[in-house]
Amino acid sequence: MVKLKKNELDRLICRLAGSYDVYAPVDIDGNVEFARVSSAEDMDQSRTVTNLSPKEIFFPKDEVLFEYDADGIRPADSMDRPIAVWGIRSCDTKSLMLLDKVFGSAIQMPKEERFQDPYWKKRYDGALLFGAACAEPLSTCFCNWFGGGPFATEGMDVHVTDIGDAFLLNPVTPRGEDYLESLDFTAEVSESDRKAAAEIAGSAEAVMSPPVPIDGLDQLLPGLFLQEEVWGEVSAACINCGACTFVCPTCHCFDMQDEGRNEKGRRLRVWDSCMFPIFTSEASGHNPRSLSRHRVRQRVMHKYSYYPVNYGEYLCTGCGRCITVCPVNVDIRRTLLKLMTHDGEDG
Amino acid sequence: MSNPYIPVPMRVSRIVAEDPERNLRTYNLLFENDADRERFTYLPGQFCELSILGKGESPFGIASSPTEKDHLRFTVNRTGSVTEEIHYLREGDIVGMRGPMGNWYPVELFKGGNVLIIGGGFAFTTLRSLLVYLMDHRDDYRDITVVYGARSPELLLYKEELSAWGERDDLKLHLTIDNPAEGWDGLTGFVPTVTKELSPSPEDSYAVVCGPPIMIKYTLPVMSELGFPDDRIYTSLERRMKCGIGKCGRCNIGPKYICIDGPVFSMAELRDIPEPV
Repeated sequence: MVKLKKNELDRLICRLAGSYDVYAPVDIDGNVEFARVSSAEDMDQSRTVTNLSPKEIFFPKDEVLFEYDADGIRPADSMDRPIAVWGIRSCDTKSLMLLDKVFGSAIQMPKEERFQDPYWKKRYDGALLFGAACAEPLSTCFCNWFGGGPFATEGMDVHVTDIGDAFLLNPVTPRGEDYLESLDFTAEVSESDRKAAAEIAGSAEAVMSPPVPIDGLDQLLPGLFLQEEVWGEVSAACINCGACTFVCPTCHCFDMQDEGRNEKGRRLRVWDSCMFPIFTSEASGHNPRSLSRHRVRQRVMHKYSYYPVNYGEYLCTGCGRCITVCPVNVDIRRTLLKLMTHDGEDG
Repeated sequence: MSNPYIPVPMRVSRIVAEDPERNLRTYNLLFENDADRERFTYLPGQFCELSILGKGESPFGIASSPTEKDHLRFTVNRTGSVTEEIHYLREGDIVGMRGPMGNWYPVELFKGGNVLIIGGGFAFTTLRSLLVYLMDHRDDYRDITVVYGARSPELLLYKEELSAWGERDDLKLHLTIDNPAEGWDGLTGFVPTVTKELSPSPEDSYAVVCGPPIMIKYTLPVMSELGFPDDRIYTSLERRMKCGIGKCGRCNIGPKYICIDGPVFSMAELRDIPEPV
């Protein structure tokens, strides 16, 4: 572990920017999201949870897959510099690990043999992630339901704790360790620095509500699938606006769309949402998920049942963004509790 | 690393209108590049995404058999914007293709057994692929029986081949239409009813059922009634698709993605998936 004085942060960012495309939380018209930065001045590190998740760095809202003209098809010009991220929380680094299982990665799951997504891999595989400890968890934070916590380090290369006048940089991976060793402007960590960090960690843990045990939820859900009543209840308020899916760091559904005229154009992939009826609407007019409650069921089943069947863990990290952003106050924690305590009797 | 999102160019070599309204057309496609052709190996039941650049992509079951080495064949029903554009294609035009995608009918498993192919309407595409494949490996299989139904005689696909198959003595072909029609000397009645009346033996037999949802829904119980066990009844599912490689989320049913875990499923696999059809 090394110490970085706060007035040296800009030096670190500039150093990173020499060989990486550097992303950090930035206030864009009142919304804090991850964007390219060239100096520490550009950043806003005040939010525990950014309004938009950093999945966008690796899986952009819209992305050109290829361009075409009369001469044929060319894959889109892609970035040639690796990505570094400063200030990413543990719920979000964990979510990138979950997405990596879908898009293809170094994590060897049996299903990885099938197809790997070259666009995702190019960005994620070489990324250097400086994760930020959470000193002030929010009331919407429930990462501890999924084994996380304000000081969790999973998915980070370097874990960063803000101790007031300095950051403590703790390497998590060899990649992170190598990078820290290459820095010549860090200081040694003193006993009192460690104590300060431990105190911050302790008070952050104390703020978190105790986790609700959801072991077995994945086993329980398939049995509820056909119980229309309970899905009607948990989806009653939902207006299918899709906001939860766009702020979610693990939602990864997308559409593919063509733009162009005549002989010249491009094909993009753009974020899509299982909350929209058109998502599954077929050309014949048939729609397997035409009802709102069936779309809500799909989202819940995918995150808490289907993904666990395929990858052994929940597709949710408890970041709480869906709770914050929902215009009708749907709280996924309440939904899960309702499902877990449903008595199973249904007409 | 190969990029699964990039279509390869194929040239339309032949177009056949299958029905009088010309809503169903069959396209033979040839690879433009030898390297693409050499890389492309498939089995009956798999599908491809066909691309019209500027308009988009849609998935289509491969109607040719891998034993027909020179071309790929697809039958396209004009229904939406991409299929509309495909119908504007003329012989010699270029179309984009990604694939092959998905799994296939277990032709290895069928070896040494009887195969019953049950199809309805314009879903006969991958069933044609299967049938041609089986006939080209005729010695590997015992009885091959086909029940194929459509609303009317004009809506049966591949009419020339149907009459040729009807002549063969190593294939039992039963064609049926929903209602009696002038000049029709085949069977009359819905596919599930006809199948039940034919009462094929489940002994050492495998059944492949493919058609519109309503046909599948009523045929699967008939197969069970006839004594076919769930792990010997196969069907092919469809959903709206985009990526075809298990990422975009659209064709998710239960923990499966139709594009990579299917489209071919046994009844035994579908038992665990609510509302698959």
